[in-house]
Amino acid sequence: MGGSDRLIVPSGMSRRHFMGHLATSAMALPAIQFAGALQTNAQQAARNQKHCIVLWMSGGPSHLDLWDLKPDSPKGNGGPFKPIATSAQGVQISEHLPTVAKQMKHLSIIRSLDSKEGNHDRGTYMMHTGWAPNPTVVHAGFGSVCSYELGSKLDKFDLPHCISINSPGQSAGFLGMGHSPFMVQNPTAPVANLRPPAGVDADRMGRRFEMLKLVENNFASQRRGQAAIDHRSVYDKTFRMMSSRHTKSLSLDSETDAVKERYGKNSFGAGCLMARKLVETGVTYVEVSLGGWDTHQNAFETLSERLMPELDKGMGALVEDLAASGMLENTMVVWMGEFGRTPRINQDGGRDHWSRSWSMVMGGGGLKGGQVIGSTDADGVDVTDRPVGVMDVIATMTKTMGINLATEYTTPRGRPMKVVDGGAPIKELI
Amino acid sequence: MRPSRHPRWLLGLAGFALAWGVVCPEADAQSGRGRARAKPPASAKAKEAGPEDEIDRMIREAWDESKIKPSRVAPDSEFMRRAYLDLLGRIPNIREATAFLESKEPAKRAKLVDYLLEHPDYAQNFANQWSVLLIGRNRQERTVDRVALKTWLRRQFAENKPWNEVARELIVAKGSNKQNGAVNFTLAHLEFEKVPLTSITTRVFLGQQIQCTQCHDHPSNDWKQADFWGINAFFKGLKPPKPIPRTDENGATVEDEYELIEERTDAYSTFERRNAEIRIVFPTFLDGKKISQDADVDRRESLGNFITDKSNRDFSKAFVNRIWGHLMGRGFVHPLDDFGPHNPPSHPELLDKLGDEFIAGGYDIKALIRRIASTQTYNLTSATIPNNEKDETLFSHMTLKPMNPEQLFDSLLMATSAQKAGGTGDNDRLRADWYRQFEFAFSTDEGDEGSSFQGTIPQALMMMNGDLMAKAVGGKSGSFLGDLKERAALQNEASADAYIVNQLYLAALGRTPTPKEMSMGRGFLGNFPDTIAVMEDMFWALLNSNEFILNR
Repeated sequence: MGGSDRLIVPSGMSRRHFMGHLATSAMALPAIQFAGALQTNAQQAARNQKHCIVLWMSGGPSHLDLWDLKPDSPKGNGGPFKPIATSAQGVQISEHLPTVAKQMKHLSIIRSLDSKEGNHDRGTYMMHTGWAPNPTVVHAGFGSVCSYELGSKLDKFDLPHCISINSPGQSAGFLGMGHSPFMVQNPTAPVANLRPPAGVDADRMGRRFEMLKLVENNFASQRRGQAAIDHRSVYDKTFRMMSSRHTKSLSLDSETDAVKERYGKNSFGAGCLMARKLVETGVTYVEVSLGGWDTHQNAFETLSERLMPELDKGMGALVEDLAASGMLENTMVVWMGEFGRTPRINQDGGRDHWSRSWSMVMGGGGLKGGQVIGSTDADGVDVTDRPVGVMDVIATMTKTMGINLATEYTTPRGRPMKVVDGGAPIKELI
Repeated sequence: MRPSRHPRWLLGLAGFALAWGVVCPEADAQSGRGRARAKPPASAKAKEAGPEDEIDRMIREAWDESKIKPSRVAPDSEFMRRAYLDLLGRIPNIREATAFLESKEPAKRAKLVDYLLEHPDYAQNFANQWSVLLIGRNRQERTVDRVALKTWLRRQFAENKPWNEVARELIVAKGSNKQNGAVNFTLAHLEFEKVPLTSITTRVFLGQQIQCTQCHDHPSNDWKQADFWGINAFFKGLKPPKPIPRTDENGATVEDEYELIEERTDAYSTFERRNAEIRIVFPTFLDGKKISQDADVDRRESLGNFITDKSNRDFSKAFVNRIWGHLMGRGFVHPLDDFGPHNPPSHPELLDKLGDEFIAGGYDIKALIRRIASTQTYNLTSATIPNNEKDETLFSHMTLKPMNPEQLFDSLLMATSAQKAGGTGDNDRLRADWYRQFEFAFSTDEGDEGSSFQGTIPQALMMMNGDLMAKAVGGKSGSFLGDLKERAALQNEASADAYIVNQLYLAALGRTPTPKEMSMGRGFLGNFPDTIAVMEDMFWALLNSNEFILNR
């Protein structure tokens, strides 16, 4: 029970100390003065800060039908889709991604990923953390690392620094609940519990907090320990979030119908649009999920009629807008799932799980666009050039975000744990 | 009209953060000294008249060595709320609280503990906690019947079955997961070559984290990779769950019952050393005991016997440590399930002694709880004094225990009769909704006893603005607040407001308000015409406070 509080903070600073800091700094300023200061800080931060948007394709997307087409596969692995040219010289992708094709000069494809993990849960864990699941430790998702390393250094910002749209996202593991993804279950609806229930107006909310303050102060003044103080600081943070003008970016209400249409009027398109707004506001890491890629049967209909058009609109509009506003320079965009799909097409017209040679896409944040890293053979079975491992991907993302590659934590059980272990940034992209 | 930058409901809050302020350190230190000097209450004095308890003596010796002084004994209200939360998993209701606080009986704390141990909610609570420990909170496989496991556990705790028998049955259980709820523990951990089953079995029953040695020898203790796979080999005969189909009332075939099947085998486990050398191992217990390699041996029976054997002190110490940790907020060994030379206990002799007593007493769970709950140590307040505020390991004051989701849910129900106001008596369904909402707000670690209100924004948002809270503090007629208002109307007019404030504090915090809280509460009630709205706001504040959510 008490053990959950024993989170370790690097550089010899205990969490206790750390939380104490937050509490004091937050309590010392009146609310309104806060809000003013925060706006300036956030705008400042949004200019200098690094951001990451992960487009998470849950279920295992088919690389052979999206990024690494083999129309002439001798074994007939190609499937029905045709490759098309893109804005990147010599780079072809699927005909069902025409909008994304226009943005490929900003993005690079890794075609030689070997992740060695064909189980959904384990693959998801691995691609988010770089590590295989292990019963002794829960590793931190990359979004939580970003929140911890970058977001918490901008502590006068009043939205969470790790936000996951459409799915819960990866846990913060040993970095603690404070850095877990804040989940937006449905980007087209108001965020749950962000507003007081109907009938509770400003006067009543003020009265509630006044009464709360009395009880909390009475308790904390009895030297009951850190948990009593931490509680107050979380309520303060939550109050700041509720009162922040930045919560505007958690709603698409102010967007025109044309913009919503361009991103796609579905949860993924809406999520991409919200992700753009959130990084513009100053959020460090946003993940947007699109599920349904586990296409064991009738894959090509599902892909061409639903999944790829949704992906194409959302991802295409997102990259286009980020590039147009200049935000792409400091915003890394990563497209990936938990694994790829078998080159061979099965008897049900689908593809099964495949982790030996698959593709992912990344760009922005200073990464070189328009590149293709690695390749697979004519049937898409074996990596023929430049194999890339999961830790290489995490290392590339870590480096791009400006996080020290040597970052190491001590878990609550006293075990040293590196963010990057045994991988190296993909130098062709950096 | 141009929309305001801030939502209207916030404007009233301008002064909130400022007024919340920072606690004045001088005032604090003074009150701390004041408390240190204060005389213990009568019940504690009576205790001290007798010979000093053996546990208390050993705890005190560690204080003396470190020149640490204990906090005072907790007031009755603090002790009562703690005992209810620890034993029943919920706070007391007004009736229960009033009965205890007003009682003048001698030894009423010991009587309360006895009463709680016989309360139906005790078995329910321990079944809840142990089902989370055994199969996690969110597991949803078709083959795992959580309800059957909980029902089975509840029966064991209600009958106070000796712990060695309960544990043994969990380890060796076979058959249908509906007929024998204990089977669900094994069914929940069968995947990946029984690696999860190996690790949770040693973790939960022996307090040992040998799973690190799945891949390599333990860097800081004696566990070897072969130890892990030696235990793993006991599970080699387990087969995937087999459905037991049945025909429902419409004639359709339903598969909602599964059987755990174990075949006798002579198989061994294999593992790869870091130098890529492949080793094999037959069933071998951690102390090196082996069993016959013949195919006619029931391997899990043997493992169950090894683990729960009277000569295995690790087994009793692991349980004693867990119960101590449950009651005191921290184990002698902490984390609770990480025994080993790399993580020595804070009070080794005391742990040994309690472990041996537990064996000698026949693994009597209630006797163990009663024993610890009757110590002076368990009776101390969580309020620290300057001398001991940094102490985290010597039990010089009670450790604050944040409520876990189960305790929070049951306590909110108790405080507010929220299920009544919601118009449904279906607590299980409400509870499931609540957990779903908290699934992401709370830790996702399976079976992590640390899952509790750790203070995240989604948790706070849910507590402040969520449905259950809105329902809980709703003042519709027939609700808790509606009833309270009607009862207050029966009081004489001068005392109606005081009655309301008093009852709200009792319901939420199990104590009466301080004079300052009373006068402020009465002020609010007097100043605003809409009594029920003020009551709602006051109750909201109490239920959102640190004092509510922290088991002190």
